[in-house]
Amino acid sequence: MKQPFSWKRAILLIALVLIMLFYPKLVDSYFLHLTVITFLAMIMASSWDILARTGQVSVGQAGLFGIGAYTAALLYQKVHLHPILGMMAGAGLALIVAIGLGYLTLRLRGIYFSITTIAFAEALSVIWLMTPRLTGGAMGISTPPLFGGNREYAYYLILSILAMVIFVVWLIESSRLNFAFTAIRENEEVANVMGINPTRYKVLAFMISAFFTGFAGGFYSHYNTYIIPYEVFGLAISIACLVMPIFGGLYTIAGPIVGAILIKAIEEYLRVTISYGHQIAYGLILVVVVLFMPEGLIGLWKRRIVPLFYGKARG
Amino acid sequence: MDWPSFFQSLANGILIAGLYAAVTLGLTLVLGVMGIVNFAHGELVMLGAYNTFWLFALLGIDPLLSLAISGVLLFFIGIGIYRFTIRPILKDPPLNQLLLTLGISIFLQNLAMILWKTDSRSVVTSYSGISLHLGIVHIGLTRSMTFLMAVALTILLVLFLYKVRPGRAMRAVSENNTASWLIGINVQRTYLLAFGVASALAGVSGAMVSTIMYTFPMVGFKLSLKAFCILVLGGLGNIPGTLLGSLILGLTESFVGTYVPEGSGWAEGISFILLIIILMIKPTGLAGTRRE
Repeated sequence: MKQPFSWKRAILLIALVLIMLFYPKLVDSYFLHLTVITFLAMIMASSWDILARTGQVSVGQAGLFGIGAYTAALLYQKVHLHPILGMMAGAGLALIVAIGLGYLTLRLRGIYFSITTIAFAEALSVIWLMTPRLTGGAMGISTPPLFGGNREYAYYLILSILAMVIFVVWLIESSRLNFAFTAIRENEEVANVMGINPTRYKVLAFMISAFFTGFAGGFYSHYNTYIIPYEVFGLAISIACLVMPIFGGLYTIAGPIVGAILIKAIEEYLRVTISYGHQIAYGLILVVVVLFMPEGLIGLWKRRIVPLFYGKARG
Repeated sequence: MDWPSFFQSLANGILIAGLYAAVTLGLTLVLGVMGIVNFAHGELVMLGAYNTFWLFALLGIDPLLSLAISGVLLFFIGIGIYRFTIRPILKDPPLNQLLLTLGISIFLQNLAMILWKTDSRSVVTSYSGISLHLGIVHIGLTRSMTFLMAVALTILLVLFLYKVRPGRAMRAVSENNTASWLIGINVQRTYLLAFGVASALAGVSGAMVSTIMYTFPMVGFKLSLKAFCILVLGGLGNIPGTLLGSLILGLTESFVGTYVPEGSGWAEGISFILLIIILMIKPTGLAGTRRE
């Protein structure tokens, strides 16, 4: 919702922008790398949340991520397209695929969409493994480091994409789209009667979601310099995309961002502690959030923590 | 045409369809009675498979015997899962039920990786290598046994749903749970039993899985994808549709494996192709009507 202008907010925003701009000068290279990876996660989390606003659960974001990753890497390998243009191409292709999948499944009940997306990511993985001459197969593809390995440039690129995603989410929240998405999520039949075409809005949300997820994939392939089908089309990425916003709090700007930071922190810690199966945390978090804190951490903050200081619930 | 290989593929397809049907029946039961697509169903199958493997590897118990043990064990695990996680959110939007079962699925997959590593394991009994010759077709003994077991499971389930009181209660609840409640059916207990029976079915089919394919932490996920495709093919939540869907998937995979170059690799992706085709031509499924 639109909020009235306030000086406090404006100053906070300017301070945040300044910190973000000078951030690479303040931290060491390894921490900068963690930040880039976390920003990437934030983009994927926020993109998933855009679609979730229409009540649809994608369990196959890895399919779109992988399309973006391979489009960018293959375009570089075959025709030496500039990495940023490759990322754009990957994002565009993911968007086109989302239109096709969306029109096919989003007119049906939500469960069809979820089932189709999960099968979609898996099918892409099969196609990639079976066509090694075109796609590199199980061996994957490598590309030279992005911007010659300059992490600062990579940081500014991913920061600007993240800013774009947040701006788009803000636009959605403050426009009529918000009402359409919410109405569809709450009750599709009623939304339909009120003159909202549910399929069209759901496909639109899926397209936006796919575009940024595809871009994230393209960025990942160049930043990581190496991709394999098992990873970029893997269930792990699809699950991460949905755990982060759910943990943080759905249908908010801050939720996916907070969720991404915490999930990445937990993941970094567990990766060192246990070699296999560190995603057990994803499963546990999903179960606990659905059962005990359906509004995620943001909801918990508003309901339980803020009242401790202010004496009454806000928001 | 090369008839022996044609009939061989036909036989293989039908045999594997039996296993797919056994895996999908429990999913169909929960969907039909409770209206929930249980994303963790495949992981219950995986637990049944590991149970059979460990009983065989550590204690030398024959898979035919541990079939029953897996069934009973998973029945109680299923009841626990229902009681503590699903029952509290029965009235929530479907989205939450989907996410909850997905969470359980991810939890169990990774638990299996932590406990038992990612190695592929298989149960090799004294009779695993035996092959039966029926005219021009060769079929493995264990494969035929799992097929017969799947047929028996289906018949038992149908008898249960049509002849026994708790089973008939499940059908009533699946038709209309408020009306069932009004005529004195304990809906909560029926849900509990349905989830338990579905999990037991998963346990038994898991035991079957361990004898004819590799057991590894992601085996349940792979089977889940096939089962979802079968669900959509059959029209979400009816038993004849599930059987038909299993047969179509089993046969398509088998024929693609035989007649398409490198087909056995492509066969893994067939379920997605079938899913897309059915959504394009008849999204309500081949058998039956749409359930709302």
